[in-house]
Amino acid sequence: MPAVEMVGVSKTYRRRGGQPFRALDDLHMTVQSGGVHGLLGPNGSGKTTSIRVLLGLVRPDAGAGQMRLLDRPVPAELGGVIADVGALVETPLFSPGLSGRMNLRLLAEAAGVSRARIEECLDLVDLRDRAGDRFKGYSLGMKQRLGIAAALLKAPRLLILDEPSNGLDPAGIKDVRELVRRLGHDGRTTVLVSSHLLGEVQQMCDSVTILARGRQVASGPVAQVLSRAGTGDVRVGVPDPAAAAAVLAAAGYSVSPAPDGQVLVHGSPAPGAITRVLAEHGHYVEELVRVTPDLESAFLAITGAQA
Amino acid sequence: MSAATQQPKAPAGPEGDRRGGSLLRSELLRFTTRRFIQVLLGLAVLGWLGAIGIGLASFDHPTEADYAVAQETFEQAREDDEQWREECAAQAEEAGQAVDDFCGPPMTVEDFLQVQPFDLASNATPGTMGFAAAASVLAFLVGATWIGAEWSNRSIVALLFWVPNRLTVMGAKVVVLALAAAVIGAAAQAAWLLMAWILDSAAGSGRELPDGFWDELLAAQGRAVVLTVLIALLGFGLANLTRNTGAALGVAFVYFAILESALRGFVGLSADRWSLLVNAVALVLPGGTRIYDYSTDFATEPPSYLVTNLHGGLVVGLYVAVVVGIGTWLFARRDLH
Repeated sequence: MPAVEMVGVSKTYRRRGGQPFRALDDLHMTVQSGGVHGLLGPNGSGKTTSIRVLLGLVRPDAGAGQMRLLDRPVPAELGGVIADVGALVETPLFSPGLSGRMNLRLLAEAAGVSRARIEECLDLVDLRDRAGDRFKGYSLGMKQRLGIAAALLKAPRLLILDEPSNGLDPAGIKDVRELVRRLGHDGRTTVLVSSHLLGEVQQMCDSVTILARGRQVASGPVAQVLSRAGTGDVRVGVPDPAAAAAVLAAAGYSVSPAPDGQVLVHGSPAPGAITRVLAEHGHYVEELVRVTPDLESAFLAITGAQA
Repeated sequence: MSAATQQPKAPAGPEGDRRGGSLLRSELLRFTTRRFIQVLLGLAVLGWLGAIGIGLASFDHPTEADYAVAQETFEQAREDDEQWREECAAQAEEAGQAVDDFCGPPMTVEDFLQVQPFDLASNATPGTMGFAAAASVLAFLVGATWIGAEWSNRSIVALLFWVPNRLTVMGAKVVVLALAAAVIGAAAQAAWLLMAWILDSAAGSGRELPDGFWDELLAAQGRAVVLTVLIALLGFGLANLTRNTGAALGVAFVYFAILESALRGFVGLSADRWSLLVNAVALVLPGGTRIYDYSTDFATEPPSYLVTNLHGGLVVGLYVAVVVGIGTWLFARRDLH
């Protein structure tokens, strides 16, 4: 069962005195239940708008009847499903004069969440010691952590986090990453996380949707998306790279020097065939690796191709 | 966030860790914890204590010496007054009216007393009006800041992640404000009664209260509470429309300081019939308020019309309904960021 489904959703912002901006352009997105799904795209690609549309904050121009959260149509049945959806969208929104704990309590009261759960969530984000301080005195990272705690209060089946690492220090980023992964694999929670940090998505997510100009340009398991963007090159490690390259070139392979001085064989060659050719000429392979692009390269390749 | 690196407790299921939620309870809690509102109410209490102090300093029982000074001043003014009264009586005869109605009652020694006792019968209605005005201003500020602060820190948007029905959210805020404004209005009128009792005990005139005094006073105080609620909602509606507390106060200032006067200048006195200020006064004042057209000849009774309590309440209520209604409609339809 998909946790999130959007079919043909479009949204254009009409700006006073400016050109209309098409934030979502016939967007299709499916997030399967369970695991961590990344939403990736450059600024203005529609990540936050798609989350806002799902949560009923922004009204789409098209596709309003084609969206589902936890298998229920939204926005029509958003009220029925919202108890199972936790969200942090962009910056956390709290009353600055109230303490972190009181801000959570105000939300918890509305949904009937117990005070024990508030303390549990404060513990999860390591804010319990500062929970009595006023929100306006919090650092950016603490505010972000309180936002995550608020999103977790409902013990949601679907957790939507928009740029959760914003403002966090490296240790905080690592903790959020581990928390998200743990929640995504607890067998109950699906996490949809948007981020512009490609490495973070790669480390945190099981699957990813890449957006560009309001459209989906790639989607699927992270490894699959990476391989799609891969060149199929094979990097060969041998004691004499120059001689080995000459042998392979003579055998009809397209070769070039790899950045580390070894040999790069292009055109999705069969590794076994390369090993045999080299062995026949007295070159014994020490290392043979199919080159896999990282998400950053894949992202740039995919979004660049769409631009 | 070191704690997050430890295995978190398995989150309790929604059913297991939740009791019945209440948006209204949550909003009541939010209202009572709002610091600026607490400051405003605290200042109001200080103002009330100050008013009691001023009242105690202003009213007293006149002594023999006070009467002697007043008698002396009265004697000096009597000759001029009698001459003026003769001329006025002639004009009254021409106009076909009773002299006392046309010229007012004759002077007495009491008019010249520098020290006056507190007279509950004559001060009850002005006090009710004054406390109604003060409570309304306070309620306007509370109403404006109640929603203005929500827009300022956008916590109203965060609330929609919990209660996505925007009309429900806005309705809860309106209900909480109306309840709070009713409490403020009732407390203000109770404060006036308490203040009047203190002044009457300390320096009361001892004059017997006229028949129906309490019925009329309590009815006026009840209408004052209604006015307080309506003005609180007006402040709420303006701040919700402009999404800013300061802008709502600015709109209110421009309206009262400029627009009402300008309308009177352009439209004439008929604008008074629809003026917010006139109708607010008419709502509370016993019997409503009569508007006179003094642009006509002074020798005769100027034309007038009566703005009744009901008319006043309906007009103020209509303005409030329009402002709150438009704001709520926009809130329900607009994209929120």
